Amino acid sequence: MAFSPENPLSADPEIETSHADEFAEQLRCVADTLPARINIDAQSVEQGLAKLVLTLIEFIRRLLEKQAVRRMEGGDLSPEQIEELGLALMKLEAKLQELKSQFGLADEDLNLDLGPIGRLI
Amino acid sequence: MSDFDQILVSEEWEDTDLSMLETLDHVLNRGIVIAGEITISVANIDLIFIGLNVLVSSVETAREVIRKRGTE
Amino acid sequence: MKLYAYCLAENLDTLAQSPPGVSRAPVRLLKIDNLAVLVSDTEIDAVPATRDNALAHAAVVRSVLGETTPLPFRFGALVTEQQLRSYISSRKPALEKKLAHVAGCVEMNVKIIWEPSAEKKPQPAHQPGPQGAGATFLEKKRREILGDELRASKSSEISAWLHDEISGLTRDEQVTVRPTEKLLLAAAHLVERVNIQTYRARLAETRESRSELHFLTSGPWPPYSFANIELEFETHFGVT
Repeated sequence: MAFSPENPLSADPEIETSHADEFAEQLRCVADTLPARINIDAQSVEQGLAKLVLTLIEFIRRLLEKQAVRRMEGGDLSPEQIEELGLALMKLEAKLQELKSQFGLADEDLNLDLGPIGRLI
Repeated sequence: MSDFDQILVSEEWEDTDLSMLETLDHVLNRGIVIAGEITISVANIDLIFIGLNVLVSSVETAREVIRKRGTE
Repeated sequence: MKLYAYCLAENLDTLAQSPPGVSRAPVRLLKIDNLAVLVSDTEIDAVPATRDNALAHAAVVRSVLGETTPLPFRFGALVTEQQLRSYISSRKPALEKKLAHVAGCVEMNVKIIWEPSAEKKPQPAHQPGPQGAGATFLEKKRREILGDELRASKSSEISAWLHDEISGLTRDEQVTVRPTEKLLLAAAHLVERVNIQTYRARLAETRESRSELHFLTSGPWPPYSFANIELEFETHFGVT
């Protein structure tokens, strides 16, 4: 499509893909992050803070898991230590789930946009 | 709905219309943000962008709600 | 009385036919210093985040693309005229620099989905005998994390590859990589208008060479991804 001076760039942008459904599915997730910006009743101030705090805890929790797996792979943990570590991390994951549901937050709600660095989680 | 209840309604985005979704991606996630952003930097590296649009509106609205309730 | 702001431009003195704005409000051109801002007058406290309003916002910004390259505001920019004026005057040099940077260009996008086939997924480590719940949990996490690392290295590779293929035709790029998601990479390219056809042709060739990747290309757009000057500021609250 050639761009003529008449009405080129203010026309609708062209979209081209061979996998429309796949991309639609992915993009719909992106559009769904909108609700965080628009709820303006007093309760959501609390929820906004809970979200921030739980996001940071979740971030740390994932780091702990990665670290545990690294240690496990490194071979310097005994089977008993692996079992104990795994159980502790399981409990941590369960606890966080509990907290999330107490505040009515879903998995997708816990994230921080770090601008150019991308998302925290 | 009262003025201070859900002023903003989020619809279900039912469409699979890719053109619309792409447009939304641009309009909702990018572009100049003029109000209420705090940038927290560590060692001159921008780390956290916290959108305060919601928070500022919520605090203001919360105050209004409290004030209004006080006069009822 | 508030203003809903759509975009900011230079070298724009009059507004030809504009499509209706959010909540069907009319759109007018407000001059601040020598910059033009497209706005709608409104009394509301917050903008209804509906699909129609978002699309209206996009349509208004797009309507000036024929004449100039604006800096789009993100959806929801509800301000008083005073806030708008002080925003602009306090950031004039940065805004003019941005406008110069995007002048004569449009934004083009490439999004890439990658789903590795089953054989590429990490295999479980060999564990002798029965495992307790804790060890099983960690084993599951190990497989997830290794899968993530695979995606992380693949996404770096794809990002570098795309950059090499296309950077000659772009003035700037903004690339977001999300290794843990199907949508691995989303790139915004700032392309000079005269290069749009060449860019498209190059992209068509590049797609062919990577059949394991699923591509979506779109454009031209106003430069949403290149508009935000807040990212240029090093500190608002400096914590050192």
